[in-house]
Amino acid sequence: MLERIRRILMNQKDITGYKICETRTQSNELFFIRKNVDMDRAKTVHYFKVTVYVDFEEDGQRFTGSSATSLHPTMSDEELEKAIREAAFAARFVKNPAYPLEEAGAQYRVLPQSTFAKESLPYWMNEITKAVYKNDRYDKGGINSCEIFLERIDTRVVNSRGVDVRDTKYKCMVEFITTWKEEGEEIELYRCLEFSDFNGSQIESEVERMITICQDRAVAAKTPALEHLPVILTREAVREFFGYYYSKSNALSVYNHSSSWKLGDRIQGTAVKGDKITLTLDPFLKNSCYSGGFDSDGHALAPVTLLDQGELKGYAADIRYAHYLKVPSTGAITNVVVKGGSKSAGELKKEPHLMVAAFSDFSVDTLTGDFCGEIRLAWYFDGEKTTPVTGGSVSGNINELHHEIYLSRELWRDNNFEGPELVKLMKAAIAGVTE
Amino acid sequence: MQVSGSDFLARSKPLVRKLIGLLSTDYGQVSVLGTDTRGKTYMVSGTGIEINDYFLVERGFVVRIHNGVNYSEYSFNELSEEKLPGIVAEIKEKLHKTAPEITVNAYDKFEEEEITKQFFSEAEQDPEALSPEVILRSLTRVRDMAAALSDQIVNFRTSFNYIHVSKIYLSDKKDLEQSYLTCEARLFCIAGRDQVIKSAYRAFSGMKGCEVIRELECHYKDVVEDCIRLLDSKPAKPGMYDVICAPDITGLIAHEAFGHGVEMDMFVKGRAKGAEYMGKQVASPITTMHDGAAAITHMSSYLFDDEGTLGTDTVIIKDGILRNGISDLLSAQKLGTAPTGNGKRQSFERKAYTRMTNTFFEEGEDSYEDMLASIRFGYQLEGLYSGMEDPKNWGIQCIAMLGREIVDGKFTGNLISPVVMTGYVPDLLKSISMVGGGLDLEGAGFCGKGHKEFVKTANGGPYIKAKVRLG
Repeated sequence: MLERIRRILMNQKDITGYKICETRTQSNELFFIRKNVDMDRAKTVHYFKVTVYVDFEEDGQRFTGSSATSLHPTMSDEELEKAIREAAFAARFVKNPAYPLEEAGAQYRVLPQSTFAKESLPYWMNEITKAVYKNDRYDKGGINSCEIFLERIDTRVVNSRGVDVRDTKYKCMVEFITTWKEEGEEIELYRCLEFSDFNGSQIESEVERMITICQDRAVAAKTPALEHLPVILTREAVREFFGYYYSKSNALSVYNHSSSWKLGDRIQGTAVKGDKITLTLDPFLKNSCYSGGFDSDGHALAPVTLLDQGELKGYAADIRYAHYLKVPSTGAITNVVVKGGSKSAGELKKEPHLMVAAFSDFSVDTLTGDFCGEIRLAWYFDGEKTTPVTGGSVSGNINELHHEIYLSRELWRDNNFEGPELVKLMKAAIAGVTE
Repeated sequence: MQVSGSDFLARSKPLVRKLIGLLSTDYGQVSVLGTDTRGKTYMVSGTGIEINDYFLVERGFVVRIHNGVNYSEYSFNELSEEKLPGIVAEIKEKLHKTAPEITVNAYDKFEEEEITKQFFSEAEQDPEALSPEVILRSLTRVRDMAAALSDQIVNFRTSFNYIHVSKIYLSDKKDLEQSYLTCEARLFCIAGRDQVIKSAYRAFSGMKGCEVIRELECHYKDVVEDCIRLLDSKPAKPGMYDVICAPDITGLIAHEAFGHGVEMDMFVKGRAKGAEYMGKQVASPITTMHDGAAAITHMSSYLFDDEGTLGTDTVIIKDGILRNGISDLLSAQKLGTAPTGNGKRQSFERKAYTRMTNTFFEEGEDSYEDMLASIRFGYQLEGLYSGMEDPKNWGIQCIAMLGREIVDGKFTGNLISPVVMTGYVPDLLKSISMVGGGLDLEGAGFCGKGHKEFVKTANGGPYIKAKVRLG
């Protein structure tokens, strides 16, 4: 199929370049209600995404137009030709400043093979199931429902400049709901794990942790009105929080004027009271579904530092936007690593605070820095005792408070993020349920 | 014009029938959903132009079999006479193979009615018949007019997407075919002043054609004006407020509060409090809420869902009383209810779940003027950003683009943003004290189940007055 597509592309006189991304995915999926399989699924799908490029000149200015189209394996030669012809025609009207395609010859790092490669997908589905349910052993609560997806994805990227690179990745997703019931009504919490390598004990402990914090939500009081109290973000919310820095230091955001960050900027200000942020992108992060030696352009990836002690050192830039901003191309890397801070988790929790274990959905506006989330479970420490609370919300703006944030020394890793387990915000707003 | 069907799916029918025949020798019940979705996305901004296939584009099949105990599914996208034996072999090898120690829920075979039916939607202007140049010219014109309105505009973007969905559903008793076209257009403005940056948007959508682009011309000035004024906005002081919800926020409340809350696959899992409240009052007596592919013509209207069940119009809340839930085929069987045609998939590759279609509050009898005049201090909330459901514990989180301050029944011109609305669903719905006339739905966004399985839905209603907590 790829050769059929390439032959048709070579015969298109209007285009000046092309890129073909081929993916072949096999998966097994299990859907549980409590401990019982409610449905099982499998899939084998094969995709070709073709981008055609047309270089042209108008009024002395050079442009690279492009258009991407999905080609299906069930397409006839006539259908393939029509789709490619239409994409080539459309690309002529896409007047974007000229940029180059990835050139052949790069050295690609090959990542160690996943454990999942050693046995069949159905074998691992059973192993994952055992790990998920090992700690589901309580009377008052446990796993309400769970979905397990395990995929093997073979990818190949080919372009008209001679790039031809391929790899095989594994991606596992375990989405589960835990519930707990005490005297009041039953409550639930949500968790989604994603990983590329099997680690049974990690799955077991994460399920146990969710069941444990579910118990706290079951006895939680309503969040009181709490003014001027530090807020401590944990885990998933921490990842979302640093997503703002990742987005703002992306060359695409800068080029589109969604970010005004300039190299050398001290993005937390010049009078930082708390910890300064150091953020790197690591395409080889262990157990991330997004790790790999190349991106969708076929660019060879390597670790890169974007923020060093609060100073913007580089942009995350694919080949197009790197060319536009005249900065080095990092390729598209989505693994984010944030260095831990100066204080331990214990020190961060010493003074009165509200530590949020779970939000309904912690949302960060990557344009403005506004963030908010409804509290599903938090622990309110008043200086003497800790009370689990629920309801109300936390909100604020990152730009207005990041001159004084504290990052825990302890790190947490979850799929494509490694960073502090806790982030303490000194000036977030808390809307309580009880006034 | 009438939207055309898929030649590919028409060509594939004999092979699909043959596959069903081959599988039927081993499995009690076999059905196949085939999809062929085309679509493009066009975007013009101050810094670039894009024309690409829309990400929902797909062509493939999903087979559902009754394996003797329950149902299993296999998704694939390579089909030919030569590949048929391989597909059958894969299904036998891969499905219903869990370890013996893992227990399995049982489902009976569905009783299907014999039915052959087709549906082809109507549209004024076919986007596939227009040159990309013509579409880009329209988008560029509006963008340029908008960008010229203020030097505080950092970037302005116009975009247009079309999705031409074609599906077939075949089983031994059913032969269904449908093809429909939905389109959406957006205005998106970013404005900046000093260190402050804000955005505003408006979206237009429906089961219609390129004519949706015309709506951009009528509203780009409003979007620019809102965006510039948002630069001076402040967050709301946390507390309870009287608010008027614009139709998109009314729709967001309908969707998050009692749309997700009555998805009956959540009843089966014991994850929805709504199951205990059937026949009870959950909202103000002046509220009536619907969901259904056949309830209204909009982004999620269709003849049949992704399990071959015909779409319906479900009255979820009638005069404040919770009356009905919505369901997919398997949930309905488990609960002993009639399926409502709400079994939807993100794509042929994914499982069908109970999903919303077009969800909205019915219009009421209050005038907008009376609603506004009744507020001593509050806000009018506009612009859907996001929402999160909690069917089990009835928490709600909605984020709106802005709130317009109202003092003594008049707008002051001040705006609040961001607007975060949280609360307890029945408190919020029982607080609805006025329901306006008119009905407006919007479906340019996506709805997820938890944090995945994104499908198209439309949500809306009239202007309503309620009391909510803003934070």
